[in-house]
Amino acid sequence: MRMRLLTAALLLPMPMAALAAEGERIQVRGEIIDTWCYYSGVMGGPDAVTGTAHHTCALWCSAGGIPVGLLGEDGQVYMVLKIKGDDGSAGGDTQLRLASHEITADGLLYHRDGLNYLVVEDVVTDHGITKLNHEDYGPVPPFAIPKPGK
Amino acid sequence: MKNVLMTLALTALALPAGAQDFSQGSEAKTWNLYAEQPARFEAKVVDILCELTGDCPADCGGGARQMGLLRDVDNVLVYPNKNAQAAFTGAAVELLPFCGRQVEVDGLLIEDPDLKATNIYLVQKIRAVGDAEWTAANRWTAEWAKNHPEAAGKGPWFRRDPRVKAEIAADGYTGIGVEEEQQFIKELFE
Repeated sequence: MRMRLLTAALLLPMPMAALAAEGERIQVRGEIIDTWCYYSGVMGGPDAVTGTAHHTCALWCSAGGIPVGLLGEDGQVYMVLKIKGDDGSAGGDTQLRLASHEITADGLLYHRDGLNYLVVEDVVTDHGITKLNHEDYGPVPPFAIPKPGK
Repeated sequence: MKNVLMTLALTALALPAGAQDFSQGSEAKTWNLYAEQPARFEAKVVDILCELTGDCPADCGGGARQMGLLRDVDNVLVYPNKNAQAAFTGAAVELLPFCGRQVEVDGLLIEDPDLKATNIYLVQKIRAVGDAEWTAANRWTAEWAKNHPEAAGKGPWFRRDPRVKAEIAADGYTGIGVEEEQQFIKELFE
């Protein structure tokens, strides 16, 4: 009995995801965003660092190896680790091509220490870029679009 | 025995992310971010996809995958989103040489409940545990230049990157289409 209690107590601090490698199958729809600009607020609030206003920066960050996330309709951010067999989550081609796109993803969800992680097994639908906010915010950051001819 | 169990249970209760202060000894430079906290701690460098799913290449993915920091003191998986350069650059390249090793890192932790940001990290310097010398987490642009000799030239990397340029050439700066955004760009500079 003592041994069982001790074992249980020792396991208590271990995150559940560390014990189980099985993900939860989900289908989620949302925009592929760059997570640093979203989480850090370095360029403004969440509405300004998504959509067409932020598209060029989203390309830069994705190519630069900043993690991309899927900002779901539920307001949750899902950190994307793999898309359709491409595990290039640090600057890979697949995630770069989907920057700012709204997609419906089918995949496996993992929770760990307050963050959601998503392994996208299939992009069920690529809805394209649907959040048209460049007229509202201008380019974010402002220098994202260079003056023509420069 | 009861005391041991009580201590273990209290330790577990004290573990939730964000509950601890990791600023002691930190020399991290501020980025003046709303939710930043200086944070210096020891951790194991891991491949996050491997850590979560068991899909584990020997070399942590060789730079293709995102890297995590499995913090020693509480086993929390910290996600380094950013290196130390103000150049739209991530942290995987900086951490890859330390794949599977115990390290000490210094940087900024982002904890913002409003955005559900927790255990997000900007790494500024790294050293293997036991080493005296730190490695600055600012190698990304040099690595990019080494890998893209065809893109050598003036200006920041993100203006010269072939893949970024191809995306912008195809769909414009806003992604809605080159023709479609022409009026917007014209008015932007009037």
